[in-house]
Amino acid sequence: MNTAALISQENGINQRFNLWILERVRRKRGSPELPFTLEYRHIYVMPTMFGFWFGVLLALTAIGGLNFNNNMVLILAFVMAAIAQMTSVLAYRNLSGITLLGFRAPPVFAGQAARFTVLLKNPEERLRFAIQLVSSESSDCTDIKQQATGGLELELMTGRRGWIEMEPFRIENRYPLGLFRAWSVIIPNARCLVYPAPVPNPPPLPKTGRGDFGATRKGEGEHLHGLREYQPGDPLGRIAWRTSARHQTLYSRTMEAPCEDACELNWYLMGGRGTEEKLSILTAWILRAERQQIPYSLEMPAAALPADLGEDHRNACLEILALFEK
Amino acid sequence: MTAPGNMQSSQKATLWVIATLSFAMAPQLVRMPVPVVIMTLLPLMWRIGAEIRGWKPLPVLVRHGATAVALLTMYFSHGSIAGRRAAVSLLTVMLALKLIESYRIRDARLILSFSLFLCATQFMFNQGIFMPFYGALTVIIALVTLTQLHRNEAFSAFDETPPVSASLFSELGFSFRLLMLAIPVGLSLFLFFPRWATPLWGIPESTLDSKTGLSDSMSPGSIQNLFMDDSPAFRITFEGDIPRPSELYWRGPVFWDFNGKTWRGSMFRKTLGADSQPDESQAQWKYTVQLEPNERHWLFSLDYPATTPRDSRITIDFQILRRQPVTQLLQYSIGSDSTFVDSPELAAKLKSSALDLPDGSNPRARELIEGWKREGMDDQAMVRRALTHFNQEEFHYSLESPLLGRHSVDEFLFDTRMGYCEHYASAFTVMMRMAGIPSRIVTGYQGGWYNEVGDYLLVRQSDAHAWSEVWFPDLGWSRVDPTAAVSPSRIASGSLGALSAPRHLLDYTWLRSFRNGADIVQQRWNDWVIKFSADSQARMFSSFGLERLSPSMLVTILFAVIGLFSLFLLPFILRVKGPDRKDPLRAVWLKFLKRLKAAGFEALPSSGPIELAYSAAHQLPRDSQSIHHVADLYSRSRYSATPPPLQELRDAIKEFHPMKNTG
Repeated sequence: MNTAALISQENGINQRFNLWILERVRRKRGSPELPFTLEYRHIYVMPTMFGFWFGVLLALTAIGGLNFNNNMVLILAFVMAAIAQMTSVLAYRNLSGITLLGFRAPPVFAGQAARFTVLLKNPEERLRFAIQLVSSESSDCTDIKQQATGGLELELMTGRRGWIEMEPFRIENRYPLGLFRAWSVIIPNARCLVYPAPVPNPPPLPKTGRGDFGATRKGEGEHLHGLREYQPGDPLGRIAWRTSARHQTLYSRTMEAPCEDACELNWYLMGGRGTEEKLSILTAWILRAERQQIPYSLEMPAAALPADLGEDHRNACLEILALFEK
Repeated sequence: MTAPGNMQSSQKATLWVIATLSFAMAPQLVRMPVPVVIMTLLPLMWRIGAEIRGWKPLPVLVRHGATAVALLTMYFSHGSIAGRRAAVSLLTVMLALKLIESYRIRDARLILSFSLFLCATQFMFNQGIFMPFYGALTVIIALVTLTQLHRNEAFSAFDETPPVSASLFSELGFSFRLLMLAIPVGLSLFLFFPRWATPLWGIPESTLDSKTGLSDSMSPGSIQNLFMDDSPAFRITFEGDIPRPSELYWRGPVFWDFNGKTWRGSMFRKTLGADSQPDESQAQWKYTVQLEPNERHWLFSLDYPATTPRDSRITIDFQILRRQPVTQLLQYSIGSDSTFVDSPELAAKLKSSALDLPDGSNPRARELIEGWKREGMDDQAMVRRALTHFNQEEFHYSLESPLLGRHSVDEFLFDTRMGYCEHYASAFTVMMRMAGIPSRIVTGYQGGWYNEVGDYLLVRQSDAHAWSEVWFPDLGWSRVDPTAAVSPSRIASGSLGALSAPRHLLDYTWLRSFRNGADIVQQRWNDWVIKFSADSQARMFSSFGLERLSPSMLVTILFAVIGLFSLFLLPFILRVKGPDRKDPLRAVWLKFLKRLKAAGFEALPSSGPIELAYSAAHQLPRDSQSIHHVADLYSRSRYSATPPPLQELRDAIKEFHPMKNTG
């Protein structure tokens, strides 16, 4: 897991501190049950690097003021300190109450970045300014208006096919002055399906050459396939008026286009290539078949799907490939 | 991914940073030498141009060259860079130069932080009543800048513009509110944060480079320069009566040595203490002086100080010298006895130095005195004769005095006959010495403006004055003011009343009296804020019977106050605001929903008014009619092209009291 790399950009101490917090969160609270509302016990507040140095400068100013008993210098330093202290409360308040509704992550191909969308809701009557999500690899930021929902996206580079777990991430903000950072660590229970990467130049599609393979593109085309009961949405031109008149209920014609060139994607017919290579070729074939609108069937050692076309079929096939285990 | 601070600051944020820096440096700029001001403004202007016109960053060599030139300019204009004022100038110039290479958020924040520091350093030089307001303005602008930089940092990684964009007005408003909210905690820190009774380190005298007021020498023109300066020198509160104006001679530096042009005090006499001092019980006048910081050692008093203020000593010629220069508003109480006889006998060594004159100078004056001497006058008659001379001959009290040469007294007495108090005092003292009467010059302030509201006397730098003292056996040193002989009104109505022409364009009498009257604000500010110290802190609650507060008690109070504020006040102020005030319709509707909720009906956030009315009416059948009525009114108010008046809906909801559904 990528926990060690939660914050790669920061220095050693900071990194160790973040790791410690992450371990603490993992022990105490683990993955949140959705919807998850951020409360005071989930939120940490610490000065940022800038806040720290700003504080040092204020302290020096105050020491100078105390030494020479210069009251105007002291008032300035003390009021600035009070403002700084108050912004820590504001940073906390800007985060508390935000509700984590869920995660969404459409499947991607290996080598692409998985994009996890985190849905956040602001259930209150005040604006949330510059809410940031930060993971080791990416970050996103948005304002969330009153009683609105915001989606923030975190990317995670994928290497190999299969499920990829979403990394732990921080939801944080430095509102309003950047002196303090309020944050909460979320260990999400979300994953993204990674399809095998398609090979760039796959061999030609293995066509069966049998037009009567049985797979047809239903719905479209010129050949009558059959009749079925009318469903709302069927075009008027498809209604079989004469049949309907006979049966006192509406019937629609279903059409089909004959599949001249269905193809059969078969694990066993792929020769002696390596497993991953075979999967990559199969992926590329599926994509090509979809593009060329040629129905395809898939046969794998553990599963088989009949020839078909369309988003659902494609996704089902790709999922089988993604999760294939020898 | 770039580290947050390394990202480029946006144009808007950069311009705000420049604005903050400009505000912070402005009070400093007016006091800086002109070449340094130019070296400060040039980089600033360039940076603004670069931001607006998109000029390319300057090459490293040019930047380093500019820094070198600026430092050299600094060095030659200030003479040194060790002084306090020079150090602040240096900070100003360096911040301006830093601007030209600042493109990242990190740099912007650095400049901003030091701008606030620069703003604080101004208070070393000026603690006037307007400074806190100016400081507050600078802080507000700095807060807007910080907000900008924060938004900039949060969103700079993404191309999209932030969903919420605030107007300038709301940004200023937010910063103002932050400042106001911080004031309770800031003030309790100010009041209760334990102070140091004695400073841990002092200010080295060599770094004091903004001395004001009377100096340790007097040459023609030195007091005249002060005449243009209307800033307050000190304020005096008398216990009891205030002396008449002709008695208000505030004694400062005393000079014995004359080289023909310049009068100086000498270290030798400064180290000698007064032989005897008036008895404290004899003091006719008791008063408290609040001395504005002038970075010098003299404390001022009426003749003759009967008590010695803390940390100071009284010299043989009754100067009060403080051990440390006065760099903070200083308050001391003192009593004076005017009847005291200063040195009825004068030691030979002192006598000779009170008669010493440079050889061969001012022959014409010497001739005049010799003439008077031949008339057989005694010492006192000689003094009267000299004053009569000033009074009877054509002498003018004027600011426009020509420059005098080697025989300055001669030229003044016989040729120009125009001058200011210092010319008269100087000429008179020289004449007395020629006549064999020991004499010396005393500088200080004369008069003062009585503020009736505050019951105090205000002495401005423009009240600076010089007079003479002559010594007679048994009578001791006696004050003689030759200026009074020439221009009696100088003493009676103050330095400004004696001149017919105004000093500058805005020099009106009414304006002056307004300023004198308005000084009460500054005096109160000094009293309540500037003067506040470890001692006043410890005695803060003395009126409640707590004699002295220890630091630990102070800290306890501090935490109690801050705790109370954070627990009760802050949540109250920061409470979640109700529905948007800009949408009264929604506010009314929410009230309706609240009533429904009280009756046991929970509305789904997704349902619209009509849908909601149906389900509510279903659950609360007894109120079905009124529910539908309100929902109908609401949806018509919201969506109809001719909405009913809002009041109608308000009334409908006011009368809406659903019964709780028990069934």
